[in-house]
Amino acid sequence: MLLDALAAPSQHGHHGYELMKRTGLQSGTLYPLLMRMAEQGLVEAEWREPVQLGRPARHAYQLTAAGVALARNVAEAGAAQAPLREALA
Amino acid sequence: MTDILPRLMMVVVERWLGSSYREWGLAMQVEFGAAAAEGRGLSFAAGCLLAAFRELPRHHHGQFALINHVLTLGVLVPMAALHILSAAGLPSTAGIHSLLDHSHAQNPYLARAQLAAVPSLLIIWLVLGAAHLRLAWVLLDRDWSRAWGMVALIVAATATLAIYTSVLFIDDGAAVLQAIASIIVLMVLAAAKWMIEARERPWMPIVREQGR
Repeated sequence: MLLDALAAPSQHGHHGYELMKRTGLQSGTLYPLLMRMAEQGLVEAEWREPVQLGRPARHAYQLTAAGVALARNVAEAGAAQAPLREALA
Repeated sequence: MTDILPRLMMVVVERWLGSSYREWGLAMQVEFGAAAAEGRGLSFAAGCLLAAFRELPRHHHGQFALINHVLTLGVLVPMAALHILSAAGLPSTAGIHSLLDHSHAQNPYLARAQLAAVPSLLIIWLVLGAAHLRLAWVLLDRDWSRAWGMVALIVAATATLAIYTSVLFIDDGAAVLQAIASIIVLMVLAAAKWMIEARERPWMPIVREQGR
């Protein structure tokens, strides 16, 4: 779910609160996941200037090449299992 | 007014994450602003607090923070409360308060001297209470130089208390307990500092590796 959200195209990168709303994850779950993913080199975080004037700079997250490859693998594995899931349903 | 609690929680989050995860702490602070603007500040801050707590044992500063919190909340704050309550005369056993009732005094000169000493003894107890609170605060701030300054103040105040009570023949059991507690605090602090410094020594991982 988080991989899907991070893989979605975004002009300014993904912000923490926006990811929370998109994935339905609480901050207590989201941030440890992002930290681990960043440690494993799947996600890179950088400070981006605010879009609106007067707002502070925000941490923006995006998948690295390794993260994109993982997201692709997960999506492919999910697609391969889709017929089985439909059959079971 | 209603966002005081979540803001306090975010301050704790930043402290718990420490310098190892400073960037993440700042990122959470910024996103907290966005969550608070939509009225979800409290749940966001509570989640961050939980995340920061779970991260504590993972990093060096977090392990130190855990030791600090146990020491401050488990030892120093209760001790500070005890000293302040002693000065206020709430535990009726506090020796200095029994001096106010000088009907039992055998020697009128000694009774007068003891009565004259009561204000200074009360001040020493209050200083001890305040010094323990300050020590708890500077430990949470990881400020070792001020912590040792506070420990020196506590030891000096305890020594003064011991001298006063013995010179004036005051039977104050609380002073003896205070002296014992000061020694324990000093030993715990020294052990905590030694452990932290040992972790920072570059040759420690090599020694650990050879010990396996």
